[in-house]
Amino acid sequence: MNPPASAPLAKASDHKRTRRRRHDLLPFWLILPTVLVLLAVQVYPMFYTVVLSVQERQPAGWQFVGLKNFDILLSSAALAESAGHTLIFLVGYAGLTLILAFIIALLLNRKSRFSGLYITLLFIPWILADIIAGAVFRLMVLPDYGIFSGILQNPTLFPPSGLSVLTADAPRPWFGSFPFPPSPAMVYLILAASWRALPFITLLLLAALQTISNEVIESSRIDGANTWQITRHITIPLILPTMVVALFNLTLSGINGVGMVFSLTGGGPGTSTTVLSYLLYSIGWESLDFGRAAALALMLGVINLALIGGTLRVTRVQQRSV
Amino acid sequence: MALSSTGQSGFSISRRTREELLANLALIIIVLVALLPIGTTVLISFKREEDVTRKPPVIFPCDTPTAKFDLTACRWSLEGYERVILPMPAENTPLGFELKGRMLNTYLPNTVLYAVSTALLVMILAGLSGYAFSRYRFWGRDALMIAILAITGVPLLTNLLALYQVGASIRHVAEQIYNDRIFIIIVYTGFYLPMSVWIAKGFFDAIPRELEEAALIDGCSPLQGLGRIIMPLATPGLTAIFLLAFVGVWNEFIAGYLLITRNDLKPAMFGMYDFLGQNIINAQVVAAACIIIALPMVLVFLIARQSFFRAMVEGAIKG
Repeated sequence: MNPPASAPLAKASDHKRTRRRRHDLLPFWLILPTVLVLLAVQVYPMFYTVVLSVQERQPAGWQFVGLKNFDILLSSAALAESAGHTLIFLVGYAGLTLILAFIIALLLNRKSRFSGLYITLLFIPWILADIIAGAVFRLMVLPDYGIFSGILQNPTLFPPSGLSVLTADAPRPWFGSFPFPPSPAMVYLILAASWRALPFITLLLLAALQTISNEVIESSRIDGANTWQITRHITIPLILPTMVVALFNLTLSGINGVGMVFSLTGGGPGTSTTVLSYLLYSIGWESLDFGRAAALALMLGVINLALIGGTLRVTRVQQRSV
Repeated sequence: MALSSTGQSGFSISRRTREELLANLALIIIVLVALLPIGTTVLISFKREEDVTRKPPVIFPCDTPTAKFDLTACRWSLEGYERVILPMPAENTPLGFELKGRMLNTYLPNTVLYAVSTALLVMILAGLSGYAFSRYRFWGRDALMIAILAITGVPLLTNLLALYQVGASIRHVAEQIYNDRIFIIIVYTGFYLPMSVWIAKGFFDAIPRELEEAALIDGCSPLQGLGRIIMPLATPGLTAIFLLAFVGVWNEFIAGYLLITRNDLKPAMFGMYDFLGQNIINAQVVAAACIIIALPMVLVFLIARQSFFRAMVEGAIKG
């Protein structure tokens, strides 16, 4: 019972080597399921959308039609109008949310004893689904019966015939066919969407405000700067990168969010709240024109990727400068 | 000189308390305005049909022919809730009645199933790959991470057409194995994974490497080290990932609406949308449905809010 000394040694090193190899492959096994799911649910559909966008459904099956879908889409009045609605929605939604969030974040940053309580309560709208938020806002202005309908439909306050938010037509456009001024329903949609996005953006800005050191603020206060000057010349420049991130975030959620349009306005009255995401649904699932809808999806996808690219650049610059 | 400087500081202290009070007052008003839509919905949900269809509308159903507001005359009712859950007397059941409303016996259970399965899958997959990205340097790692980050920019909406077609083809080719539930859970998982992988990596990066090295030296295998040392430390991060995916799926509407073919497999948000179409005059029913669907999420949030805040800031700044 005296085996050669080299055998166990060789065995041990062999064992060590296989273990090392298994160890080297481990990260790939850990990542494999994630990669497979993403390939199936995100990457493949992306390419499939490109394929769909150059096809048309014929009675015989799908047929290649080149860029016809894009051609029809880009020359349609519906797309131009919807792009106008989207632009108005985005400017209103992002602008209103960003301004309100900044003011609330400044107030919260004073670290009052109740800040935690305020933040918790302010955050409750964020946890609600967009469908629910839309329904909640719709209930408040139901024609005749909504809680605010009594005030809004009062003709002396809102001439000529009172403001029936969900049914009033859009005013006559000022600039050609560009849908400005927006319909009351669009203004209300912007309000509702901002209400739901406000908590998250406030938290984002508050997190940035809290990274500003107190010494900078204190020393400028000693130097005689007033609150407005401090906000204007110290706070805003320091949190500008975060504001840009918030702006991108709002633009993305504004372009892609569609649930609230479903439950609040259904794209109406008329087509006055048909934003691009709702147009995508309506071309795809109401007109059942998947080729044309895919062409629109592709355009929206490119806008999204550009916005994400922009966000990444800003965060990179931010990380480098911190 | 000395006098004026003390005067100055005395003034600034009193000015500070005044500013403090004003800020608190402003915040209280903001909180009240922000919660107003929720408050009105709660009020509506407890009204009776006669009170929600009055012109001009009343805020509290507490007026009498003689008085504008009389607390003892308030006509609160559970009519809206009853019409959502539809309790029907039934023999042979322990409680003596059955709940016939589709919201409670079909749509909400579907939502719970989809949300829990998706959140579990996302947590496990993001935990494994986030760990690999945090701890190993391997071929293609950086490219893969950038690719995953880019995918976070692809919205569910633009992929829906293709996913719908994929679902239709699978149904066409292999009807026996196609399952709406499995399909939607995989779609949701793929949708919440990219962001979660990044959040997970961030949480793993914050756990010191020395702990694992010590475990390896003591004779743990890498997998044992992962299971016994790292996972317990990563629990808060993984919980946050679970919660974000859970709430996300619970609140998701458009994919559940369009990708699930059978109505009895659709989630609560579809039920809500359907309800809105049928009951638009019966505001108390819509309000009650809103509250039944949203209350669980509000409670989850109130209990686990620190977890949410951590993950959101992490995700928003990195992603």
